[in-house]
Amino acid sequence: MEEVYPLEEELNLLDPACIRFYRDEFEDLVMEREDGEIDRSIHILRNFPLSNESRFISVRKGEEEEELGIIPALSDLDEGSRQLLEEELERVYFVPCITRVLSVEERFHVPKWEVETDRGPRVFEIRSGRNDIRVLGGGRVLIRDADGNQYEIPNYRRLDEDSQKQIDSQI
Amino acid sequence: MTLPTEALTDPQLRDELPPSLHSDIEGLIDSDEQIQLSVATDIRLDGLYGDAYLLATDRQLLSINPNGGKPAIDRIPLSEVKTVEIQDLFGSGVLKVRTETRGVTLALFSKSLTEKFAAVPDRIEALVREARTVEEDEKLIKRKGKHHPVRKRRCESCGQVIPRRMGICPACMDRKKLLGRFLGYSLPYWQLATVSMLILLAGTFISLMPPMLLRFLIDDVLKPVDLLVESENLGALSEAARAIRIADIAVPLPLIGTVDPVGALASLVFLLLLINVSRNVLGAVRSYLMARLGQQITFDLRSQVYIHLHRLSLSFYNDRDTGRIMASVTHDVGRLQDFLSHGLQEAIQNVLTLVFICGLLFYMNAGLAAYVLIPTPLIVLVTIRFGHYLHMIYHRLWRRWAAISSLLADVIPGVRVVKAFAQEKREIDRFETRSEELLEGELRAAKVRSLFSPIMAFLTSLGTLIIWWVGGNKILSGNLSLGDFVAFTGFMWQFYGPVESLCRLNHRFQHASTSAERVFEVLDTTPDVDDSETVSLMPRIKGEVEFNDVTFAYEEGKPVLHDLSFTVAPGEMIGLVGHSGAGKSTIINIICRFYDIESGAILIDGHDVRDVQLKSLRDQIGIVLQEPFLFNGPVAENIAYGNPEASLDEIVAAAKAANAHDFIMNLPDGYDSPLGERGVRLSGGERQRVSIARAILRDPRILILDEATSSMDTETEAKIQEALGRLIKGRTTFAIAHRLSTLKNAHRLLVIDKGYLSEIGTHDELLANDGIYARLCRMQSELSRLRAV
Repeated sequence: MEEVYPLEEELNLLDPACIRFYRDEFEDLVMEREDGEIDRSIHILRNFPLSNESRFISVRKGEEEEELGIIPALSDLDEGSRQLLEEELERVYFVPCITRVLSVEERFHVPKWEVETDRGPRVFEIRSGRNDIRVLGGGRVLIRDADGNQYEIPNYRRLDEDSQKQIDSQI
Repeated sequence: MTLPTEALTDPQLRDELPPSLHSDIEGLIDSDEQIQLSVATDIRLDGLYGDAYLLATDRQLLSINPNGGKPAIDRIPLSEVKTVEIQDLFGSGVLKVRTETRGVTLALFSKSLTEKFAAVPDRIEALVREARTVEEDEKLIKRKGKHHPVRKRRCESCGQVIPRRMGICPACMDRKKLLGRFLGYSLPYWQLATVSMLILLAGTFISLMPPMLLRFLIDDVLKPVDLLVESENLGALSEAARAIRIADIAVPLPLIGTVDPVGALASLVFLLLLINVSRNVLGAVRSYLMARLGQQITFDLRSQVYIHLHRLSLSFYNDRDTGRIMASVTHDVGRLQDFLSHGLQEAIQNVLTLVFICGLLFYMNAGLAAYVLIPTPLIVLVTIRFGHYLHMIYHRLWRRWAAISSLLADVIPGVRVVKAFAQEKREIDRFETRSEELLEGELRAAKVRSLFSPIMAFLTSLGTLIIWWVGGNKILSGNLSLGDFVAFTGFMWQFYGPVESLCRLNHRFQHASTSAERVFEVLDTTPDVDDSETVSLMPRIKGEVEFNDVTFAYEEGKPVLHDLSFTVAPGEMIGLVGHSGAGKSTIINIICRFYDIESGAILIDGHDVRDVQLKSLRDQIGIVLQEPFLFNGPVAENIAYGNPEASLDEIVAAAKAANAHDFIMNLPDGYDSPLGERGVRLSGGERQRVSIARAILRDPRILILDEATSSMDTETEAKIQEALGRLIKGRTTFAIAHRLSTLKNAHRLLVIDKGYLSEIGTHDELLANDGIYARLCRMQSELSRLRAV
């Protein structure tokens, strides 16, 4: 008989139906299991921050960041928990989406971008185009500015023509 | 509400609160309360970009978040504050305060403000200590998140972002001064420089002669003959042609008869020959002299940079990519040489040509000369525009090339993996995608390039059109001679070329100054560890090593070793034990004085390591590293690296002592076998034994073994252990090892934990102590028991 190694058991998946999340009075995340077991000061991390933002969310506890398990998909959680975790992820991975490029001006080979994002207007500078602007498939662009802040353009071909022209000149 | 100026020493933590918010906090702060800290942040608590403020008075903390209407304000009395937390998240930072009963996020900030906010908790802690009693062991500040050390990204004096490929601020640097300094290197060769300049001047002048000769030929030699011939069949000429003749006759008539046409023609032809010969000879001489000047200067510079690189401390290398350092010796110096030999010379020649031609044109006919200048602005504009565009396109092209080469560099060495996983098809597709991108880029560049020349040609021909029309009219009306006209057309062609190339000079100039600046960045770095003026030589070391309250930090403010004190007796073997990153290698680095310590002292036989000459110290220290670094060259040379004068029997003896003799004899060329780059032709254990032989031959007084036997199989390790046993006899030895069994010969063990000396003693003493060492021992024996099963 062929013996199958149970690879999926390694995953330690959390059953989304059996857990819920809320914030305590310290503004820390708390995970409560169906049986009433409570874990405080929870941190969450994305396994695939670039390719799968709301799947495979690692749940960690305390300062040691010991992994309690992985949530396969946020969408399977109850509405309140899902919203809370999405909010928390947004905060941990603060990556505003650029919705419009107003201008890119270069001074001493340092391009200065003036943009509008989904989090409001922003001006930033980039150290070097090759390392700090990453063009992924489908027109997706990731930008890291001189201070280490990150920005994303989900598909720059969908932006207005002028923005596209500005971006084209930089990538 | 007052702002005490003397209390706020850090100006960064005193941002102005906008007047519009003053009324909102009016009632919240008492009249005798003092604002001690005021920090603006760039992300509001709702996660949108915008100004928000954090205030601290001597009684409370306030977080003020404007959001259109009335700002959201959070307040916490200082007396309740338990902890101040800074979280370094992936894309932003959080400042959070906890009390006994609640936690409040006071501020969100972008990575741009990380440094500023890093100072905030300390200030708040100080205020809390004034507001309530804080126990000695109570920790108020918590820093969370992986703190990535930030490399210098902005200029310290002006805040300008420093581009990745540069090390110094482009705004604070004076490009002209930089090139001036570079040209200063030509001073020793001033004779060569002067001669080349004179030749350049003469050559330029001579190259302007042919149009003048042509003018003379037409106006003064051919014309009179032409006139005689033409006058015979004047009747056949059209009215217009006759008009030219008649107009012309009036001008050169006095010359007829005074010049012998054939003789003049002969001398003109001879002169032209002379000009062509001398022009080319001068050109050849000049180009050799200039190249020689450039090569001499770059030779000096290259040697100087390389010598300086060896004087610099390790910390210089830690902060920079090896690739960039190598580039400054090769690429940057090369580019400077190109600029000096070609760019500069071309520029001078072009300027000279322009000045000469302008002078000549205006001298010949000022009215017509002005017309020649008309297309110039157009040419300048188009060249600069196109240059900019071309530069962009070429840059993109270069990046696509780079993408292909990096793919190749990635895949070809990994071809075994590709085959093993049967992924050839995928790799081919990946390559093709990039190749297609390159093709597309190349085609686009070709398009632009093909457009450029015709457009430039057309613009230049505009000049011809103008000259033909205006000049032709002037000839018709008798205000210009045919010779002048021809000379004008000739000069015009020589005029636009230099204009064009001067427009492109800016690019070259920029490249050269960037290179100059990188080269000077290396030259201007002073070594951290340097022999001071009054150093004495280190006498032969007996081997006593003493650490006196040694504190050391690679990065200011982040010490990796704290108050280390211990004494090692001569000939003693010390095992350094601790988790990775505990500071073991750092101890070794500072014994060798690769870095200078911040406070305390390291004494060897009572001599402070900072007071003795570096070479005399390091000459008596031998190091065997985990990854021994061998140089490309014969085995024998590598063994004798530390003592180039070693005799053959010393080399063979050292190899035997290191258990290396037998495998060396199995190499096809014995001790003369080349090792290849980094010794690739040897296995890890063999390389290690060569490096032990190297250390044995050097006969060091202090020996350092940095993980010398890890990553070896048991048999190899036994051989190496045996060799090391011979090596450590009678020498003070510091050995780092993760596998504690390899430290069984150590007299004493030093256990380092997070930069502190936590335990010291013999194996048995430490076991009895039941501390970190005992725990590590238990874990490892557990492991080896498992392995044995």
